Amino acid sequence: MRPKILTVDDSKTVRVIIQNAFKHYDCEIFEACNGVEGLALASRENPDLILLDVTMPVMDGIEMLCKLKANAVLKAIPVLMLTAEGGRENVLRIAKIGVRDYVVKPFKEEVLVQKVGRIIDLKSITDAPAKIKSIFDPATILVVEDKPIIIAQIQEGFRHTPWQVRSVATAGEAIDLCAGETVDLVMVSLSLPDDAAFTLFRMLRASLKTKYTPIMAIVVKTDAAAQQHALQVGFTAIATKPLDLVDLEAKAAKAMHLDTSQRYFHTAPDLLVLKLPDNCTPALIGEISDQLKLKVADAVNSGINRAVFDLNEVRSLDMGHIKLLLTAMQICRDLALQFALVGSGNVLKDSQNYEDTRAWQFYSSMEEARASFQKTEEAAPAPEAPAAPPDAVTAPEPVAAAAG
Amino acid sequence: MANVQDIDEAIFQLSVTRAVQAVFKTMIGKTAKPVPHFADTSVHAVALDQVHVVGTAGMVGAINGLIYLYFELNFAKLCAGRLLSLSPREIEQAGDETVNDAVGELTNMTVGTFKNQLSERGFPCRLTIPSILRGREFTITPIKSAVRHIYRFDIDGHSLTADLLVESGP
Repeated sequence: MRPKILTVDDSKTVRVIIQNAFKHYDCEIFEACNGVEGLALASRENPDLILLDVTMPVMDGIEMLCKLKANAVLKAIPVLMLTAEGGRENVLRIAKIGVRDYVVKPFKEEVLVQKVGRIIDLKSITDAPAKIKSIFDPATILVVEDKPIIIAQIQEGFRHTPWQVRSVATAGEAIDLCAGETVDLVMVSLSLPDDAAFTLFRMLRASLKTKYTPIMAIVVKTDAAAQQHALQVGFTAIATKPLDLVDLEAKAAKAMHLDTSQRYFHTAPDLLVLKLPDNCTPALIGEISDQLKLKVADAVNSGINRAVFDLNEVRSLDMGHIKLLLTAMQICRDLALQFALVGSGNVLKDSQNYEDTRAWQFYSSMEEARASFQKTEEAAPAPEAPAAPPDAVTAPEPVAAAAG
Repeated sequence: MANVQDIDEAIFQLSVTRAVQAVFKTMIGKTAKPVPHFADTSVHAVALDQVHVVGTAGMVGAINGLIYLYFELNFAKLCAGRLLSLSPREIEQAGDETVNDAVGELTNMTVGTFKNQLSERGFPCRLTIPSILRGREFTITPIKSAVRHIYRFDIDGHSLTADLLVESGP
């Protein structure tokens, strides 16, 4: 639900400044120009926060605050004083009645937004319905690590991606960088001295700008206690050293909520193609499995009734590939989608080693797979599977398991 | 109530300057440069030969007084536009009330910042609600017991005058 902010100030100018300050945030602003109106609106709207001026006609901010605190229903609403009354005595007097924070006029909009963001969950409008970023979009990753060799490994591992890897050695430098630039992901080493990674985590979460920035912990594989602590504190993900760069990339993409499906799925144009990578780590299998149902359903929804599982990049078939393909085949059967396999002779050979895959037949190219669908359609009525052409790479017993 | 004669004029000058600079830098994004050696406290110092919008707010407590801030009309409109993120055309359409309110708020902030500095120096006081005067060819004359200090600032080529009137002590 959108948070509600009630601003009580006799100056229309201040009310407009507040409206402008929060226009980029997903919240609702209510306005009152004195304490009487403020109390009435507070009762009606039950806001999540009240921004309250002190010097106002009819009923001033102090009186309104006292009445608010005396009301059993309204007393829990946090109040942030926004006033030109900044003398020490005034501040102490008002603090005693009970305010959450104090902003003295003149004020910068950013300071006000920052302080409000510490009291209520303030989300940027652009965060909410933003277009899902793709794995092919640029992103900035900040690595906070005091060991240059680890930074070099990450930079090398992400060289093929459109991601820019920035690095700093200390938490202080990371805070400075995050204040000035937009960072899409922070990777911080838990081995920084003095628990600096946890301090950095708290500081980034306390800042409105980085409140929702994913933060990954980099930790030695055997340090289970640090991993446990990081998860309890709320780190988005954990990457262990020695780094598995394929796994790290998958975790980084997941942490940034990137749509990775374009890397594995495409339509061409009457076919849904699933292109399997050679190195199918458990993280990758999980990632593709998560996308499978949706992608097949989307294809069916847009009128596509054929799928090709392209294993041309796969040098040898392993259990990861098999598990994934069995899942994909079942989803296709459930949605009455015809499918075919494309792969090399090595993959065919590997498939002979397993009971579940022995009957699989592979075409050597997309064109052959496409042609097989046509042949199947010509054969009436509704054949079990696309027939393998004479020169296709086939199993010794060319019984197609690949039929929708 | 404190005896204002005991307060050095340099403290008033410093406090007014800091207040004007803080408010205009923070809210308008402009630097206020004090016009040096401006020590004319006569009525002529704030004689108005063109339309001005004058904001005033008072202090009540250990020190009683008022500050008037004199804005030339065009400067008042410019400030209102900056404060409210409105274009000159939108300010014209919004009318005098919007400009008055913006000047009132800038005055409230300036006087608030000024009196907060006095509070920190041991002269606690409270702010009064600001009000606006608008027109040309009028003068504000203090009662004889008031101490008057006038300070002028150059803000991006515009003139802003701060007229401080403080009631003499008992």
